[in-house]
Amino acid sequence: MIYLITALDAEARTLVEHYRLKRDTSLPYTLYRGDNIILLVCGMGKMQAAMSVSALLGWKIPNNDDILINIGICGAPPSYSIGEVLLVHKIIDGNKHYYPDILYTHSLRETSLLCVDSPQESILNYPVDMESGGIFLAASKFFKLHQMAFIKIVSDHCEPNNVTKEGVINLIHTHLPILAQLFTTIQTIQCSNTLFSTEERMQIEVFKTHFTKSQGDALEDALSYFRLKNPTTSLRLTTTPIPDSKRERSELLESFIITLTA
Amino acid sequence: MNPSSLHSQPKAFSHLYIERKVLDHPKTHAIREKFSASHVIIIDHYKEVFNRPNQNFAAQSQSKNLILAHKEGKFLHIGSQYSDGFDHKQFFYASSVMGCLYDCDYCYLQGLYPSANTVLFVNLEDAFQELTPYLDHDTLVATSYDTDTMAIESLTHQTAQWLKFAEEHTNLHLEIRTKSANIKALKKIAPNERVTLAWTLSPQHIIDKYEHATPTLQQRLKAIQEAIAFGWKVRICIDPVIYTEDFDVLYPPLIESLFSIITPESIEQLTLGSFRLSQSHLRSLKKLRRSDIAFYPYTVRDEMATYPEPIESYILKSLLPKALQYLPRERIRTWQRQS
Ligand code: SF4
Repeated sequence: MIYLITALDAEARTLVEHYRLKRDTSLPYTLYRGDNIILLVCGMGKMQAAMSVSALLGWKIPNNDDILINIGICGAPPSYSIGEVLLVHKIIDGNKHYYPDILYTHSLRETSLLCVDSPQESILNYPVDMESGGIFLAASKFFKLHQMAFIKIVSDHCEPNNVTKEGVINLIHTHLPILAQLFTTIQTIQCSNTLFSTEERMQIEVFKTHFTKSQGDALEDALSYFRLKNPTTSLRLTTTPIPDSKRERSELLESFIITLTA
Repeated sequence: MNPSSLHSQPKAFSHLYIERKVLDHPKTHAIREKFSASHVIIIDHYKEVFNRPNQNFAAQSQSKNLILAHKEGKFLHIGSQYSDGFDHKQFFYASSVMGCLYDCDYCYLQGLYPSANTVLFVNLEDAFQELTPYLDHDTLVATSYDTDTMAIESLTHQTAQWLKFAEEHTNLHLEIRTKSANIKALKKIAPNERVTLAWTLSPQHIIDKYEHATPTLQQRLKAIQEAIAFGWKVRICIDPVIYTEDFDVLYPPLIESLFSIITPESIEQLTLGSFRLSQSHLRSLKKLRRSDIAFYPYTVRDEMATYPEPIESYILKSLLPKALQYLPRERIRTWQRQS
């Protein structure tokens, strides 16, 4: 699943249309959903962003191979061109610094980003936005650092009054292919960390109910050993009926563990 | 599990995180020059990056980054109970690098550190200053203890610095443990009989399976041959021995092929030791769910996980007689749990 976060409706518009996302009213925030994408319009400012992202992720808890991408416009010093797409490697939010992990190749310009409290009219050292700090803070409770990316498109040189809704829609539209490519790239480096299929997991859980907690832990270790050692071999839990006697059950488990770890 | 596709992985050290206070250190300049295409991110303190919560060790291992920092605390630490001080009066290990360029599935660093990135403390001169007061007495320093310093020698030149320092201090003994095949540093300085290069060897099948990004067995053997030819003292460590169902066809032949290439007289010692790990590090390895090594049904006693006694004994009973065909007992060190 891709979790897309934008601050503004205008930033979301192109993405909603391109990915054919449908409005979802499950949360008191502007939300769109498709087969493999959830898009949240988090609102302006870091507090709004942190609250709405927390609500979204608490509601739809992400998996190890999901990704979260914040896409938005930003003001920037003149050394950045209007329309330039930036990938953020450091978010400076007051005295807090956040570092998303960029563990993939890309052709974008990387930058630090200042997360500020209000629209900036004076030129600062770095590009500025108003949500990234809040999004990072909330999302990093649910995602590992390499599952998150912050992409900003330069909309102005710190002249926020010159930014129009149509201009924002256009900027995202122009760069849609780059964004789509980046989503794919970021997805390819995710590790699922899940050793067993849903079906296998269900069987394991049922099997474990016959044993004590520590026996269950030993079984989990043996199963993990088996799967990591033989990634392509399918798992067959014992077909022997589970005996009633505690001693016989322990013996059964012991011999099963020996088979798995032989 | 490994990422499904590796095609978008950048080269190692695509990002250099540099502490503000070492921006002007000569080593920083040299590294920036060498990695001129890398993204540079200025940081206040290495812990901001290295100790971040929620890093993914497995994902970072596929794309390691480098953090350049200034070591504020001690460089030297007293050798641990699991290591071998070789009867020197004082035994320290030096921690000038955190993390390793290599990626061994059994490595305890995975449990020790929250990050797979490497921190290089550039102010090695401070380690020498810290060590100097001890050098009235016989002192052993393991320079490659929480890392493989030789693996990143071309970048850090720290081994060369240590060798030069040891040349000037006659009570200082160094142990440099490595899996590297890069021995350029050894060729530039006269061999020192107080320096032992300890090479870890494993059968190629074990290297392929568990010692990711390390040189092949052949490359290591070639480096050993060259180091010996240059006059360096070499110890061979077949330690840790990783027990698998192929043990019999992997490990005894390793000893045979080692001594078919290297004359037994030319090495100082051979160390044999089966895999062992503290219980807490093993727990951390399990959490990563990366390798079957973490999930083997070890015997845990006194907070240390080892192979069950019959397997541990079998390993030693198989390898020791084989080694004794080439070396006298006093030149073979073995590790086995004291019962
Ligand atoms: S070479 Fe040593 S320090 Fe490096 S990963 Fe392997 S075991 Fe760990």
